[in-house]
Amino acid sequence: MDFELDDAQRAIVEAVDVLLERHAGPARAIELGAKGEYDGALHGALRESGFLELACGEGTGPLEAALLVECAARAGALCSVAASALVAPLVLGRPGDGPLALVESGSTAPIRYAAHAHAALVLDGDRARLVPLPDGSATPVASTFGYPMGRFEVGALSEGDDLGAGSGDRLRDAWRLALAVELAGSMAGALETTLTYVKERRQFGRAIGSFQGVQHRLARCHIQVQGSRWLALEAAHGGGATEASAAGAAYAAEAAGRVFAETHQFSGAMGFTREHDLHVWSMRLQALRLELDGAAGHERALAEARWA
Amino acid sequence: MNFAFSEEEEAFRAEVVAFLEDWRDLDAFFGQGHHWPRVKQLFQAMGARGWLSLGWPESEGGLGKPLTWEYILWDEVGYARAARNPLASGIVAKTLVRYGSEDQKRRWLGPIRSGELHFSLGYSEPEAGSDLASARCRAERHGDVYRITGEKCWQSYAQDMDLLWLLARTGTQESRGAGLSLFVVPLDAPGVTVGPLPTLDGDQLNEIHLDGAEVPVDARVGPEDGAWKIMAEALADERHIQFPPKRVRRDLEDLVDWVRENGRGADPAVRSTLGDLAVQVEEAEVQGLIVLDALRKGRPGIVEAAANKVVHTVVCQNVARAALEIAGPAALADDCGLNTLWRQSIWETIGGGTSEIMRGVVAKQALGLSGRR
Ligand SMILES: Cc1cc2nc3c(=O)[nH]c(=O)nc-3n(C[C@H](O)[C@H](O)[C@H](O)COP(=O)(O)OP(=O)(O)OC[C@H]3O[C@@H](n4cnc5c(N)ncnc54)[C@H](O)[C@@H]3O)c2cc1C
Repeated sequence: MDFELDDAQRAIVEAVDVLLERHAGPARAIELGAKGEYDGALHGALRESGFLELACGEGTGPLEAALLVECAARAGALCSVAASALVAPLVLGRPGDGPLALVESGSTAPIRYAAHAHAALVLDGDRARLVPLPDGSATPVASTFGYPMGRFEVGALSEGDDLGAGSGDRLRDAWRLALAVELAGSMAGALETTLTYVKERRQFGRAIGSFQGVQHRLARCHIQVQGSRWLALEAAHGGGATEASAAGAAYAAEAAGRVFAETHQFSGAMGFTREHDLHVWSMRLQALRLELDGAAGHERALAEARWA
Repeated sequence: MNFAFSEEEEAFRAEVVAFLEDWRDLDAFFGQGHHWPRVKQLFQAMGARGWLSLGWPESEGGLGKPLTWEYILWDEVGYARAARNPLASGIVAKTLVRYGSEDQKRRWLGPIRSGELHFSLGYSEPEAGSDLASARCRAERHGDVYRITGEKCWQSYAQDMDLLWLLARTGTQESRGAGLSLFVVPLDAPGVTVGPLPTLDGDQLNEIHLDGAEVPVDARVGPEDGAWKIMAEALADERHIQFPPKRVRRDLEDLVDWVRENGRGADPAVRSTLGDLAVQVEEAEVQGLIVLDALRKGRPGIVEAAANKVVHTVVCQNVARAALEIAGPAALADDCGLNTLWRQSIWETIGGGTSEIMRGVVAKQALGLSGRR
């Protein structure tokens, strides 16, 4: 057991961060977000550098892919790296090639990246399908929740390759794992921005972060962000097993509710404006914490897996 | 003890509800910026009935009604989601009644009463939010005029308003609250620029730059350096109407409607959440009445209002959060009604004094937990 990255993992994280430094970040997220666009350039850069293959690489696996996804979420990346680099490998045995959407069959709700995805992994009871998406398969939806959203018509995703028995559970587990990791990375981004803010922002002659009431609540957030991260990475280490993935997703979805509320509260009026970066991460937390029935859905999955 | 309103008050409530029937199309409690012309019409219609000056003294052209009437009026307007109570007929007018010169009253009270003239609140600055006593925007006296320079930010609705109710420094920076004065500044005056600050609810706040804007000396309300006391009194004028409890009842009802329309009403988890929220709404209602009761008895109601603000806004957020969780990803579309409810709830615990500041008031003034002793 070792809670530190080994040399190879550290090298991966550093290389990913260098790439994200160049291709992602809140300013880019805000610019793309305003136009409802997908970060095709970032997706391309990640693919070319081989990072999307980490989950099935030589000497690397889902844990390394999870580290990539975490870094990307923390950098406010706007591409389907979680689905492509973590979910697809666990479900298909290979990375998703282009932008990939994750969809529950029959859903008419807004779906992340739906209008930009080249394919969708569709969860339909105990089966999963890989459905290619020609242009225009989904309609873009106006949404303030940090991702370009689209919506499918009922029945639009009924074709495609059936991935066989057990594929539904595989997809559910991998999806939950991905949510846990993305939530952990996005919470870290929201909290970091807020910490910078409360150290700089002065009221009553002192930094607002120096008030004990503020410190206690941000400390609590920090502990939960760390908890989310470890549970998510542990689940990734175990290859996205049902219980661990559900536990990671449930914990992170609950934590994200708190982290959202507290980071906004301590960012004051500034955090409610679009000129401040917080929303890049905070609004995504809300989108992520609702998928697959949110914490309640993940908790039910955990209970069923353990005590069914 | 008596929890009921009088017959006369209930009759007034019925009159308000009937009046609001004609304004059912107006959904401006959230996002007033998208509906201002129609909101102004509503205020004018209310003004024509004397309802914007319900509680002003009769000598100033008001109806001289008890605070309960104002409470009922804005509670119903909030429930109908038509609008939020305007600054002009509340804080501004009541301060003018108390401190305005005869000339100021003559100039402004009439058009405020008729719903013609509207104000934006110019208190906060980039460096002065909770700590308002550190405001820096400066008003320098030069003969018959004040020249005002500084920045204000997060002003609600300023893009549509006529005048700014401005807090500015006339004393030294060190004098804090004791060196501030209040001014009325036209938002279209030379040297005043209003710019949008887009917000997460899809609406906007504003930033206001004052660059040597000149106002006559008689644009100052109350004595020079006298703003702090006036502002404290003005806050008390609003305490009973600022957080209409029926608004949270309406929030919950909208959620319940969504649950019914989407066939989720039989889900036990949903029902227990709704039951929990119903209890919280009751709490918000009782807290609102406690404030009203204190003010009616001539007490300042500072602690009661602080507690009420915390409870009311937390309930707003709890209803909104439950709405998002129950509706799930469907609520992520900006055109879903529950989405608006949720997005605008983000700021409720910040604007108008943060929950932390309010809890501080309760701790100090109700619990005696002050200072380092
Ligand atoms: C939607 C909206 C509308 C608004 N409309 C107007 C308007 O029309 N006119 C106007 O003038 N202003 C307006 N404001 C500004 C509002 O008054 C301020 O946001 C508010 O006073 C808080 O100031 P701040 O945002 O600078 O937060 P800050 O004061 O910077 O506080 C940031 C965080 O630190 C906490 N904090 C500060 N001091 C302490 C302490 N001593 N102990 C513990 N915690 C502390 C706060 O509670 C908060 O969580 C509006 C704000 C919003 C969000």
